[in-house]
Amino acid sequence: MPERPNERTVAVGALPIEVASAGSGPPLLYLHGAFGYLGWPDFLNGFTDRFTVYAPLHPGFGESGDADEFDDLLDLTLYHLDLLDELGLERPDVIGHFFGAMIAAELAAIAGNRVNRLVLAAPMGLWLEGHPGIDYFAAAPDKLRSILFADADCDAALGALPDPESDEQRHLQRIERTRSLATIAKFMWPIPDKGLKKRLHRIRQPTQVIVAEKDQLVAPVYGQAFADRINGSKVEVISKAGHLFQLERPAETRTTVEKFLSG
Amino acid sequence: MCDLFSWPRRTVLEQSVKICWFHLMPYRHLPPDFEQKYRSVWVDPPSHLYDAEKAHVLYNEYLDELEHAAAVGFDGICVNEHHNNAYGIMPSPNLMAAALVRRTTDAAIVVMGNSLALYNPPLRVAEEFAMLDVASGGRLVAGFPTGTSMDTNYAYGANPATLRDRYHEAHDLIIRAWTEPDLFAFNGKYTQNRYVNIWPRPLQKPHPPVWVPGSGSVETWEWTSQMNYVYCYLSYSGYKHGTRVMKGFWREMENLGVDDNPYRAGFLQLVAVSETDAKAEEEYAPHIDYFFKKNLHVYPGFTEAPGYRSIKTLKKGVGSNLSRSHSRKRTEMKWKDFVEEGYVIGGSPETVADRMREAVEGLRVGHLMVLLQIGSMPKDLTMKNTALFASEVMPKLRGMWSGYEDHWWPNPISNRAVPDPVAG
Repeated sequence: MPERPNERTVAVGALPIEVASAGSGPPLLYLHGAFGYLGWPDFLNGFTDRFTVYAPLHPGFGESGDADEFDDLLDLTLYHLDLLDELGLERPDVIGHFFGAMIAAELAAIAGNRVNRLVLAAPMGLWLEGHPGIDYFAAAPDKLRSILFADADCDAALGALPDPESDEQRHLQRIERTRSLATIAKFMWPIPDKGLKKRLHRIRQPTQVIVAEKDQLVAPVYGQAFADRINGSKVEVISKAGHLFQLERPAETRTTVEKFLSG
Repeated sequence: MCDLFSWPRRTVLEQSVKICWFHLMPYRHLPPDFEQKYRSVWVDPPSHLYDAEKAHVLYNEYLDELEHAAAVGFDGICVNEHHNNAYGIMPSPNLMAAALVRRTTDAAIVVMGNSLALYNPPLRVAEEFAMLDVASGGRLVAGFPTGTSMDTNYAYGANPATLRDRYHEAHDLIIRAWTEPDLFAFNGKYTQNRYVNIWPRPLQKPHPPVWVPGSGSVETWEWTSQMNYVYCYLSYSGYKHGTRVMKGFWREMENLGVDDNPYRAGFLQLVAVSETDAKAEEEYAPHIDYFFKKNLHVYPGFTEAPGYRSIKTLKKGVGSNLSRSHSRKRTEMKWKDFVEEGYVIGGSPETVADRMREAVEGLRVGHLMVLLQIGSMPKDLTMKNTALFASEVMPKLRGMWSGYEDHWWPNPISNRAVPDPVAG
């Protein structure tokens, strides 16, 4: 029976941030991506017996405050250092997905003493000619499931992105998604290459890169592109899964991460 | 070729509703199956559909049309800015305006306008508008749009989260560059400059009238009234829908304690005039159809990048002009529906004049912009539409709002230079 995460609000400066946490042991920080995480993803339950897992909601998501005071990626990275201080995490292992992976990589590159080991899942932050990926900012809401999952009709897809039951719900979903995507866009528009390529070589932590075979946002080729720039890192490809592979293939994702963290 | 000199000269009453001839400069040669085959007329229409030799003819015809409008007595001629767009092949309205300055004498040059956040530094707008104002002898109206999401976020890559902030900073810089007598330093978030000192400064003092196109958001209404600018509601949905929006505008003016001078407002209307109502349908229906089916065929994902509208505005339920329900409905509409619902004011001169008076009164607008070249409308039909409107409709609108003073119309010098004829 998985433990129910404890949810609380911490203040980082003037900014309220929602943080879910569960388990016991050394700290493991999970930084979510742009879609589909508005709660505690199942695959994290595989780690609560050995780690204290922390999953903050990014500014602009859910009950967390807005990123109005941040102008650029440096502001956002420094905010994450403040968040680590606020949570009392000296040197956690960090798993980041997509946008969250980019933040995790920035943290490790800029403040290597604050990150233990690093998992970059479907990482954002590089741009390869010929592999632009789908423009998720311009995607129609009713196409999202088929964009984010290899199988748009699987239970995980329907659970993460349910169809609205009324026009009012559709409107509220739209506002919620617009608010969070606008926050991502503030740092990433229109192309996510914001300088990480100049900093990745500074990452000295053990690093596992994970990409998914059917990811339409981050093509599998990005896995090697990150690994090539981070000394000693490894790449794993999750097959038959899309962008939200941690939801679509939780067991495979968990196994890959576990193998890395017990290595 | 039309003989411009056979037309009556402008006889503008001291105060009257101003009528401006607005050109979008659409690409008229999209294939018949365009909207079935391609997802959008804007942002990513394939370039193989564009023929530069055809566009060469279009630019020249379109400038002829604008010049003709000025010659037959329209108060102003309007150009505007769009990017990656087959419904408006005018990325730089200032280039078109510069050409028009040399070929017109009296009409206001209404540039509707420059999307302030896209110019780096925004001083470029201050400079080019000043050049147009000086060269035209003070005939410029300076339009300051935010720009659509398609133009700004998708075609020009501007960040939706900071677009409006950038717009407001650019605005402040431009107004200061026009009005401060001495060189100054500007320490903005988006623009930093030690030496702001544009040459030339505008001819109109303190600066050309500023018109702000918007799509019905309360924040813009508040801001334009605070700045004492003209608010222009530019939609393609026509005066019936527009009247509902403008009622909200005037209510807001009242709430803010601002007077109800109709010249505070502008509105865009599609118009099609012929000898009879039946003939109007016969002549114009296919071009109206082209406009709504092809020119406005925009992929819904491009209409509003996340962050383009504030969450506050979204929560109020203010929709985009090109929202999906609109575009779905419009693709099913025919001439009769467009006319009945006011999207188009079309018919005989009598019908059109009656509707126009109703529109001007209902909207309470002092600055009316009319779209008389619509969609695939060829030059001869556009010239006819323009001529009939000028001779048969315009006189019936003259004198409307004569009881109010238009503080937002250009104030040209009387002794204006004219181009020499080109020596052979």
